[in-house]
Amino acid sequence: MSVPTAAATTVLGAYGITKRYPGVLALDGVDFEVACGEIHALLGQNGAGKTTLMKILFGLLEPDEGELTLHRRAVRFRSPHDALAAGIGMVHQTRRLVMAHSALENIVLGHPRQRGLLNLRAARQEVEALCARYGLPLDLGARVWQLSEGERQWVEILKALYRGARILILDEPTSVLTPPEVQTLLAGLQALARQEGVTVILVTHKLPIVTAASDRVTVLRAGRVAARLRTSEATEAALVQAMVGREVALRASRGDAAAGPPVLRVEDLAASNDKGLPALRGVSFVLRAGEVLGIAGVTGNGQDELAEVLAGLRPATAGRIYLAERDITRASPLERWQMGMGYIPADRTAVASIAAFTLVENTALTYHFDDAYVRRGLLDDAGLDALTQEIIATFNVRTPHRRARAHHLSGGNLQKLILGRVLSRRPRLLLAHLPTQGLDVEAAAFVRSALLEAKAEGAAVLLISEDLDEILALSDRVAPIYEGRLAGVLTRSEADPATVGAMMAGLRR
Amino acid sequence: MWELLTRSLEASAIFLFAALGELIDQRAGILNVGLEGLMLFGGTAGFITAQLAGSLPLGFLAGATVGVLLGLAHGFFSITLRGDQVISGMGLWILSFGLTTYLGNPYTGPLGMARLPTIGGLSPFFLAGIVLVALTWFVLSRTSLGLAIRSTGENPAAAEASGIAVTRLRYLCVAVGGLLAGLAGATYTLSYNPVWNYNFLMGWGFVSLALVFFAMWNPWILLAGATLFGVMWQLSLSPELVLPGVLSRYVWRMLPFAITIPILTVISTSWFRTRYGLARPEALGRPYVRG
Amino acid sequence: MRIGPYAVTLEERTSLPAGYSVLTAVAAIVLALGLASVLFRSPEASLPDAYRAMFTYAFANPHGLSATGQRAIFLLFCTYAFLVPLRAGLWNIGLPGQVYAGGLAAFAVPALLGVAHAVPSGPAALPIVAGMVLAAAAAGALVGGAAGFLRARLAVNEILVTMMLNSVLFWLVAYMIKEGGPFMSATGEGESFRLPAGLQGPTVAGMPFTAGVAVAAAVLLDVLFAKTALGYRIRALGENPLAARYGGILPVALSLFVFAVGGAFAGLAGYHYFAAVPGVYKIPGNYGYYGDLAFYGVISALIARRSALGAVPIAVLFAGLSLGARFAQGLLRLPFGVDYALLGLLMMTFVASHVVLHFRLAWRRARPTPGGRVPADAAEG
Repeated sequence: MSVPTAAATTVLGAYGITKRYPGVLALDGVDFEVACGEIHALLGQNGAGKTTLMKILFGLLEPDEGELTLHRRAVRFRSPHDALAAGIGMVHQTRRLVMAHSALENIVLGHPRQRGLLNLRAARQEVEALCARYGLPLDLGARVWQLSEGERQWVEILKALYRGARILILDEPTSVLTPPEVQTLLAGLQALARQEGVTVILVTHKLPIVTAASDRVTVLRAGRVAARLRTSEATEAALVQAMVGREVALRASRGDAAAGPPVLRVEDLAASNDKGLPALRGVSFVLRAGEVLGIAGVTGNGQDELAEVLAGLRPATAGRIYLAERDITRASPLERWQMGMGYIPADRTAVASIAAFTLVENTALTYHFDDAYVRRGLLDDAGLDALTQEIIATFNVRTPHRRARAHHLSGGNLQKLILGRVLSRRPRLLLAHLPTQGLDVEAAAFVRSALLEAKAEGAAVLLISEDLDEILALSDRVAPIYEGRLAGVLTRSEADPATVGAMMAGLRR
Repeated sequence: MWELLTRSLEASAIFLFAALGELIDQRAGILNVGLEGLMLFGGTAGFITAQLAGSLPLGFLAGATVGVLLGLAHGFFSITLRGDQVISGMGLWILSFGLTTYLGNPYTGPLGMARLPTIGGLSPFFLAGIVLVALTWFVLSRTSLGLAIRSTGENPAAAEASGIAVTRLRYLCVAVGGLLAGLAGATYTLSYNPVWNYNFLMGWGFVSLALVFFAMWNPWILLAGATLFGVMWQLSLSPELVLPGVLSRYVWRMLPFAITIPILTVISTSWFRTRYGLARPEALGRPYVRG
Repeated sequence: MRIGPYAVTLEERTSLPAGYSVLTAVAAIVLALGLASVLFRSPEASLPDAYRAMFTYAFANPHGLSATGQRAIFLLFCTYAFLVPLRAGLWNIGLPGQVYAGGLAAFAVPALLGVAHAVPSGPAALPIVAGMVLAAAAAGALVGGAAGFLRARLAVNEILVTMMLNSVLFWLVAYMIKEGGPFMSATGEGESFRLPAGLQGPTVAGMPFTAGVAVAAAVLLDVLFAKTALGYRIRALGENPLAARYGGILPVALSLFVFAVGGAFAGLAGYHYFAAVPGVYKIPGNYGYYGDLAFYGVISALIARRSALGAVPIAVLFAGLSLGARFAQGLLRLPFGVDYALLGLLMMTFVASHVVLHFRLAWRRARPTPGGRVPADAAEG
């Protein structure tokens, strides 16, 4: 296919865009152009400025400097309202949907034609026609919380199209989808672009998505444009180079498994989610000392519940958990810490740390019950201070001071502090839930090698991750999870990406 | 008996106005625990204005205006400043409790004005309350404004991304909520019990707040709950009409408060929550940071 | 908002000035006192006279000074009663109810022992006095603990529960002391029986012994929160309940604990005012006033923020102000309720000073709108 020259058909342009946050220059004089009917990938690492640029294009932020053009005329978007009215639709990475409302109510929300009385019947007919055109079986009356992630994303795309969007911005659209859902999405987007002339901007940090679906690509690095290429002319190596700026070892080296005695044994474990519905439906596995078991899966297949039940934060509705052959199914989180379990939760800021506490006080979070640091009910402040200093040094935590408050730390440094705190207890069982989510490449690599080090020292590691590459790079065995059940437990040699991907999608058992 | 019933329904109307205002606030995601303060201030302002101007309508107008202003003050703190809504609400209540005691004191005593006309002894406020319930239900469930309000209370980020002006909508809701709370207070001091006394409400606002939770944010259930509590309240004030000589009158006064605690407990059990709990606005009490 | 060529926005400060909580406290109090001048407008006296009357009565007049001290002890107990649960992130506004419960329990001891009108004295009475103190603390703890338990176990809104308990206990006191209630005085004046001399709270140099308890408690509370593992757990729970659970802290037990401790302090406040302040020694007919006064405890805890010792001067000041304001009101024939108005003003200025220190007005030159051809603007509305 031929890509039209940008100069002739640029629909949306951004020129000299600069945006500052307190202490950070997020965008520094960025130029960005997309042409009519193309799929344009905006590629970059976390923190490169993709999200900021996208928010500016959609009116969620206003740039400090620079100008936007639409059909080559200057525009100013003061709010998403302006962008929507100009025919720009946005599909966010985290779903912007009201879970308690129906798909249809979400689609009509804020639509200019739905003023005054709601006319849901007419809207339903129109949206059903759109669904039929793209072959989407979607129950419009269903509450959004009952839909799968892939369906929810289509609700957002339909919502944008229903509002007459001619430019669609999708932020990390594949991050929570199964491989088959990704195929459906990309095929659908290509149909939209080719048949309807809709312009699609794909914001992503995933190379395979870029090469599979886009016509052109703009690479951002540290707030500046690092490359602007036609996809057909770009090599993966060139894109990586542009994105990272230098060579980075993407894979940690995995030591051999020297599996020891069983540390964690889980039998038919079941649990409910926050709504009281079954989320974990009978999971069994054995985890040995000195091995990494990777639980691979797409968000919302019971991973949260699995991690929380194992950590003692959520009651099991059935089944048993044994830690070193002791039944801990009903043990409190405190007892589990004392028995040698270490837990790295998925949510660093909401669960694993206390923003208003100093780093030392955050260290105390898993030591306030430890006789080595509590004497006659008094916390050993000097001891905790020394321990924190050691964690900061060993785990390379960049912080002004150990008495600084945790909310001053960046995501990567906070995660290193949490990791260091958990590992400093020398746990025999380590639960790591999404340990590298949202981290930059370097911090992620650091966390991964620390997990492998813990394994080498004899810890049993349970890694729950949505990043298939990470799972395959670190795990000795892989257990894909689908709808609250393990689809099987594969050895490293059985676990190739295609097999695991299919099992994550519920295709093979 | 008929008089007991009509008095009860007028009491119900006061609960209904206040709780309906709070319900609208909460459907938009704003929690105002200072409801009693708004009612106290609205009632006191209404009483003083009516007495000075010699006009009941002006009194109601003053009560409503003060309610709106205090509602907006709560809005400023919780929406614009994104402060802790509990601090702001409790602050408003203590502020109102303190200031109304001072401001109203010279007017202590009966209002001394003609009573409002009734319909066969029945106060028009209860009928107005039913109309308001129907109107609120209709707006919330059948109009785009209602969908926008409900979405704002569930997920303000989603609403904003759909082009809803979340901030403006929340201000609208706190203003309407304040208006209804002010009216509730004025109804108390100008019609239900037209005598000013320090801290005359003694808990009406907090009971109204509890009613919103009991009603699971549904205006029709709220109507039933407010009616029930109106009757119970009236009974607790004059138990001798039904059960003469049984227990001290002070024991009866405890009844509406004492009964609220077990109801609150039941609706908080996980059994009840998994069954009926989905109605709670997801973003209730949480400040919204744009972007 | 736009003013001329500038856009004015309210921005949250990224860093707070050093010692900002002290600044907040001072600013709030000074501002409230300034605003109080509106209350003191009187044809009878000039403004400086009114302030002078208030302060001299509260802090220079021997009679006023001892009244200030006794009220300060009451406010301090109320402050702790609010402060301890607040550190765990919970709002105990059930102070009045817990104060009433403490008062009732204290009077229940002699009533149940049948010594209400007999006159045990000397050392024989001491165990009974100790029993009264313990009963008051236990009753407050029970009432507070009930709310804490419901909150911790079922996440029942503690504000509603404590408010309901306030009303329930208010009427319970009325039942006990009025219209033939069990604690009614012999003369039937709508107040409780008077404690016989032997059972009145012992005094040391004219001050009730509860003064020592209050000051010791301030030291203990500050040590608890700054140094101990228990205090750490309470603070962690208050800052982030999810992280606290993650760290092995038991929210149910702790919530119950802080509410019980808070309730016990409020119960002691009730004991202090009704059974240990010289010249009272009964539950008076206007007991509701002491319940209202308890809300000064909420404000002094909010203003003192983290420190119980820091609350001591604030409580003394508030005690003096509320008393002095009443005195000035009588002297200058001001309307009733100056002390209530001051309570409201303090709350208002506390919130306002909080805002002033956390936010700043930012003036920026607004970007010029691209002239004329702005499709987005046309579509707006």
